[in-house]
Amino acid sequence: MSGMDAIRTDLGVAWAIARKDALSELRGRQAAGSTLFFAALVLLLFGFALGPDTRRLTEAAPGLLWLAIVFGGLLTVARLHQLETEDGALDELARYPVERRAIYLGKAIAGLGAMLVLGGVLLPVVAILYGIDLLGAAPALVLALVLGSIGFAAVGTFYAGVTVRLRAREVMLPLLMLPVIAPLLLAAVKATAAALGGDPLGELASWLQLLAGYDLVMLLAGAAGYGFLLEE
Amino acid sequence: MKTRILGAVALLAVAAASVNALFIVPADLNQGEAQRIMYVHVPSAWLAYLSFGVTALAGIGYLWKRDLRLDHVALSAAEIGVMFTAFAIWGGMMWGQPVWGVFWQWEDPRLTTTALLLALYVGYLLFRRLTDDPHRRAARAAVVGLVAAVDIPIVHFSVEWWRGLHQGPTIGSPDRILNPAAPMQFVTALLAVLGAFTVAWAWLMIRRYQLAAAEARLEDAARRTRVAAARRATVAAARAEEATR
Amino acid sequence: MPQTTIYSAPPRSPLVPIPAVATRDVARLFGRSAALAGVSLEVERGRMVAFLGPNGAGKTTLLRILATSLRPTFGTAHVDGIDVAERPELVRPRVAYLSHATGLYDELTAAENLRFAATMLRRSNPADAATHALAEVGLEADGARRVRGFSAGMRRRLALGRLLLGAPSLVLLDEPHAALDAEGAALVDRLLDQWRDGGTTVLVATHQADRITRLADGWARLDAGVVVELGGAGVTLPAAAPAPIPEPATATAER
Repeated sequence: MSGMDAIRTDLGVAWAIARKDALSELRGRQAAGSTLFFAALVLLLFGFALGPDTRRLTEAAPGLLWLAIVFGGLLTVARLHQLETEDGALDELARYPVERRAIYLGKAIAGLGAMLVLGGVLLPVVAILYGIDLLGAAPALVLALVLGSIGFAAVGTFYAGVTVRLRAREVMLPLLMLPVIAPLLLAAVKATAAALGGDPLGELASWLQLLAGYDLVMLLAGAAGYGFLLEE
Repeated sequence: MKTRILGAVALLAVAAASVNALFIVPADLNQGEAQRIMYVHVPSAWLAYLSFGVTALAGIGYLWKRDLRLDHVALSAAEIGVMFTAFAIWGGMMWGQPVWGVFWQWEDPRLTTTALLLALYVGYLLFRRLTDDPHRRAARAAVVGLVAAVDIPIVHFSVEWWRGLHQGPTIGSPDRILNPAAPMQFVTALLAVLGAFTVAWAWLMIRRYQLAAAEARLEDAARRTRVAAARRATVAAARAEEATR
Repeated sequence: MPQTTIYSAPPRSPLVPIPAVATRDVARLFGRSAALAGVSLEVERGRMVAFLGPNGAGKTTLLRILATSLRPTFGTAHVDGIDVAERPELVRPRVAYLSHATGLYDELTAAENLRFAATMLRRSNPADAATHALAEVGLEADGARRVRGFSAGMRRRLALGRLLLGAPSLVLLDEPHAALDAEGAALVDRLLDQWRDGGTTVLVATHQADRITRLADGWARLDAGVVVELGGAGVTLPAAAPAPIPEPATATAER
């Protein structure tokens, strides 16, 4: 099979998996919705923890937003892999004669979709609760959100695969993931802050580049490593 | 036997280099005696990163060759690496108190990077404990170690930028404010500790590897015994049953 | 990367084809218990063989190893001459496995489940293949219903339908008659006939010895991870007597 054909098949497989996950998510009982609500609740709670001085909250807003995205994201990527354990579907998936990286890619795409929805829902919540003006910063903000979500989905899909059959998986997923996520968090928060503040230091581009680099590296590493996780 | 000699050499080297660094080399003009912590901190940090590299490479090697010995190397390097990472952070903090006035400084990129390194390592070791089957454990650990290793350079860059773009440091990092009284002596002392500690590291690696290999042999023998015993029991029972039929 | 190992028993006549399945002292431990304690057998191409034995005998474990879902702890297993542990990706296209769990997605409809499986099995027209398979197992009326609402028997049928989507040379069935009513069981029998007519090798793990052994060519009875009895045609011990699991050189106390 030629290189181009192989890529096309992989993409087809990935797309089929992403579609399946998206359909399951959308039709699933309230699980996805609960996660969104939880993340919004986290933002509310930050207000109680750091308020009532709105100025302090406004300053901290980018960090708080991304923390809420991380917490919600952890639940999201875990859930996407949980789909597969309900009826032994993961075993079935592992037996198909398809490239492992295609499976990874498919699940990562589904994860990205869910993360984008999460971010999209949380932005207006942040705007309201912390007094942020979103509209002025729109394009850069969206870019930061997208790049950050790609990175989180890439890493999260990988680690969800790592922990899906493990005991103590609820704690192992964040335990393994969060140190790896640290630079993503850093860069995403900085980029968001720069976007919202009008980029006074001209650092926005650097942070976005770092995010893009992170995304690329993690996608490649995840795709390379995922196959080894499926064997028993 | 050869390992014992290595161990003795390492011990002597570390002792000699430490005495030199702590007592013979003159103190730094800017930082005073506190600067001497560098002689422990720098080698620890170097060995932490070296160990991490070995873990990652050994993991990749296992995935390629499926040789469990490479997994033993990865495990040994990870455990020893945790130790040196902890030393490095400890050294950094101990240095920070007299010089900065605080134990922790977020603007010091190396301190924060090393803290994340510790988190990644500890996670790796905890993760290993959750799988019993040696080959499965080795494969999964290798992959987790790989992603962690890939993360480290990114962490390094991001934290550097984090510090750099933030209106320049008012706090200096260890090497910026150095002013050694006798530069040549300082450099040789540092190289001496680096060399001595690395020899000690090599000895630790060999010993830990031997331990891991021995454990694996025991485990393998126990498993074979279990399988053979189960087989014997069943065959005996089946024969007995046949005899009575 | 290790070479593909073509199973090479002690020299056999070139006229005898490579067995569909060949295991040599294959053993599998789960923690401290040995699910398989050294199974050696060969299954001839195109035959139907029943694996009999009580729960915990190792039937499922053996099937899973052949399906590449499990790696053996010791020993080797070959499908069509390919080592399942070394080159699983070459084995997968040849094998179809019906396990205890049905591996279906609750929120998807029956048709969507099959279409997904057909895509993953690289069918050129997944939608058609899915429709056809649904009809084969008598679920065409329920194609648009979500699997969440299906009974255990319907799920089983759907899983059987999924088996029909590939082009396996080896079919592994784990308790195919379980949870099926008379009609469903008849469907299984019909499929078994179809497979035998098509020259597909079929291995069936089952409790219901009488039902299957009527259809099967041969059988192997397992107990506590060991083959205790073989019968019929198509399944044999390997040509040379299997070597016992090598015991450790020195006695080792159990931990």
